[in-house]
Amino acid sequence: MSNGVHEIEDAKLLFVFGYNGADSHPIVARRIVRAKRKGAQIICVDPRRIETARIADLHIQLRNGSNLALVNSIAHVIIEEGLCDDKFIAEHSLGFDEFKELAAKYTPESVAEITQVSPEDIRRAARMYATSGQSMILYGMGVCQFAQAVNVVKGLANLAIMTGNFGRWGVGIGPVRGQNNVQGACDMGALPNSYPGYQNVTVPEIQAKFEKAWGVALSNKVGIPLTQVPHYVLHESEEKKIRAYYVFGEDPAQSDPDLAEVRESLSKIELVILQDIYMNRTGQYADVILPSTGWNEHDGVFSCCDRGFQRIRKVIEPPADADVLTDWEIISRISTAIGYPMKYDNTEQIWNEVIELCPGFYGATYEKLDKYVNIQWPCRSRDLSDKGTSFLHKDGHFANPDGKAKFSSIDWQPPTELENDEYPLILSTAREVGHYSVRTMSGNCRLLRNLEDEPGWVQMNPELCDELGVKHGELVKVLSKRGHCVARCLPTDRVKKQAVYMTYQWWIGACNELTIASLDPISNTPEYKYCACRVEKIADQAWAEKYVQDEYLNIRQSMGIELKKIGGRAA
Amino acid sequence: MNHYVQGDPLLCIGCRTCTIACVVAHEGKRIFEIDPDGYDFHPRLKVIKTWSVSVPIQCKHCENPACKAVCRSDAISTMDGKVLIDQAKCIGCKSCAEACPFGAIRMVALGFEVNPDGSRRSVALKCDLCDGLEGGPACKRVCPTEALRLVDEDGLSHSLTLKRQNTLKAASAPELCGRPQP
Amino acid sequence: MSIKEVQTTCAYCGAGCQILFKVDPERNQILEAVPAMGRTNEGTLCLKGHYGWDYINDPQILTKRLKKPMIRRGGKGAPLEEVSWDEAIDYTATKLKEIKTKHGPDSIMCTGSARGAGNEANYVMQKFARAAVGTNNVDHCARI
Repeated sequence: MSNGVHEIEDAKLLFVFGYNGADSHPIVARRIVRAKRKGAQIICVDPRRIETARIADLHIQLRNGSNLALVNSIAHVIIEEGLCDDKFIAEHSLGFDEFKELAAKYTPESVAEITQVSPEDIRRAARMYATSGQSMILYGMGVCQFAQAVNVVKGLANLAIMTGNFGRWGVGIGPVRGQNNVQGACDMGALPNSYPGYQNVTVPEIQAKFEKAWGVALSNKVGIPLTQVPHYVLHESEEKKIRAYYVFGEDPAQSDPDLAEVRESLSKIELVILQDIYMNRTGQYADVILPSTGWNEHDGVFSCCDRGFQRIRKVIEPPADADVLTDWEIISRISTAIGYPMKYDNTEQIWNEVIELCPGFYGATYEKLDKYVNIQWPCRSRDLSDKGTSFLHKDGHFANPDGKAKFSSIDWQPPTELENDEYPLILSTAREVGHYSVRTMSGNCRLLRNLEDEPGWVQMNPELCDELGVKHGELVKVLSKRGHCVARCLPTDRVKKQAVYMTYQWWIGACNELTIASLDPISNTPEYKYCACRVEKIADQAWAEKYVQDEYLNIRQSMGIELKKIGGRAA
Repeated sequence: MNHYVQGDPLLCIGCRTCTIACVVAHEGKRIFEIDPDGYDFHPRLKVIKTWSVSVPIQCKHCENPACKAVCRSDAISTMDGKVLIDQAKCIGCKSCAEACPFGAIRMVALGFEVNPDGSRRSVALKCDLCDGLEGGPACKRVCPTEALRLVDEDGLSHSLTLKRQNTLKAASAPELCGRPQP
Repeated sequence: MSIKEVQTTCAYCGAGCQILFKVDPERNQILEAVPAMGRTNEGTLCLKGHYGWDYINDPQILTKRLKKPMIRRGGKGAPLEEVSWDEAIDYTATKLKEIKTKHGPDSIMCTGSARGAGNEANYVMQKFARAAVGTNNVDHCARI
């Protein structure tokens, strides 16, 4: 995020685009509520009537998959009505003339059909955003999980640049990162194109710096993104194939799109190593399982969504009968065994190596993290007075070499797999507020399990339910070209009739059996928010209930839960 | 005046932290150390989501409670500004659940008591304002957006005053008042 | 009973809430999660922050806690067998070296973890991929 979470409540206008904070980050959503209380206006862009939409001054319930058409049209109005910050554009950006040409095509009338939004609402949104004086954009997976995703992010950045909403308190654009340490894994260079601190692997000086620090020759060839692993296993030529897959704290056999393809690729990889705390679906394909310590059992640093480094501390010891090691010890031992010795005594030693190599993190020592609790990078000086940076691009200085922001001029593209006669509905996947990721943590918590359990819900418009003759709580079959699953019907007028929503946490209601592995060409993020599906009534509900119960028991057993330990209710 | 917990739909984000807090408050913290199926998960409030509203629904602790009026087994009483159900006396007739104008009473299989046919015995359950628990209603304490408040006489009078002022503001045009609105 | 208090960062989402855990060190048992005054959470927590630490108790609900290294000694399809750390590390290293020698470093893919492991473990993992294996094939679930 360009600006801090704590700044959200000081914005005069929040433009919340494809971001459902109430379900994905309740404590960030709290700031949206506080902003409203303090008098901020809110525009919510989402096909669903999400919680933010309820309190918004303007809810733009756009058609799924029309993001860039809407964003470009808002830019069109801002230009047409002379609401640009011309000084900011002239001094701090490049490419505006080209962008103006593109935006000229996107009249609100011309996108009305694509977006299903009235021209008046588009004009109103543009005026509200451009004239508040302090507008902040928050976006989430409703932007990122499309085959056209990065370009929508750039489109949103265009809006912030052209109105001068960058480089000040309470403005900017905020991708609110989902998992607790997505920001941190990126910061640390768990990315195929960058070393820690976003230092590009293809830049010779940077390569030389890391070669010197690590004492070994390094590759300057950009690596393979995670979502292309199935392709590199199943479809690449022999010399390019992936043969070994070291999976660390993830569960691709649950979280990735088109699970049938993921399973096929996992079963074909010569060596699958799984390093985790709980057995998961990927573990069933693993050749080696390396048990590690969990959160609360080890020390370290996390990065929260707004670049804030914070300490994590060992709270308790691992169970007495568990022969587990910390993740970094396991990796170091394997590294040593294959001929590159790594030896650390504690996480502070590792962290000191990290910050020494990353100028933007250099000042964030353990000492300062203990003292200040949270330090947002960049923090370049070890001096105690450098407490980090709340917002980026101060005074309009951007991170590009010339210091300028770049407009990007891109046309809207429709999603990859559109509805058709056989699969007439849109499937969009979402998150469960009480569960997390692949559920190996939250699903093993008694109370969160009680709140929501298998097989999960499919949110459907009541009219659609009537047409299909299905009622609240009934089990239904959801199908796409790639697979099917069973989930419970949840009628709600908060979703449009043309789209259904499922949360991705479930084994039995596993919506990723259905999703499509269509990737954004830049981010390689799959189009989880859009594929064609169909919902079918199940006539024999008794059979379906038994199927769900039996399947649940079977999977849990295959995950190492002993039957006698499965509670009375289910067994 | 009886107290009650009131949710504000403009602040509620529907996250249901209150729902779990209610269970934990009434079951006790040992939940985390016992058999995962060795306790009852029966929240005494229910978060309802409609097109325009998300808010937990729970007992209003009425001054002349309809539930109490219809109870045949003398299980419902008013004490210290709270309406309470004595589950030991409840015969499971469901009249109170039907009578409650807010749908704030649920019938649940509480504990492991069984009927003669082997099924678990259902009794009426509702918010007791965390009667006897330190710190007051748990739902209110954990709400991350401060959407829940305990309404007492002062609180009610304050919010009614605000409401009256707002009504007046909305009804009176600036020209009639002779000065611009704030 | 002496109660130990440890402040840490929640592992459930990008909000980065500060939690104060109350622990019974003798029984190695967490007693309670109390919201702490972090910059982002200001003394509030959501349901996962309040109640989502229970998995650490290994209540045997969904999946088994992994407690011993395991390998499929008999290859694909064979059952997983518990082994010592030395054997697990040796087995993994031998296999990785074989694959690297035969097919080159780019035939090996590693992931970081966006979850509870922490920044240091991610740093070590990418260093392992780049310096020990010799590939930039390292990525994590940021893109999913």
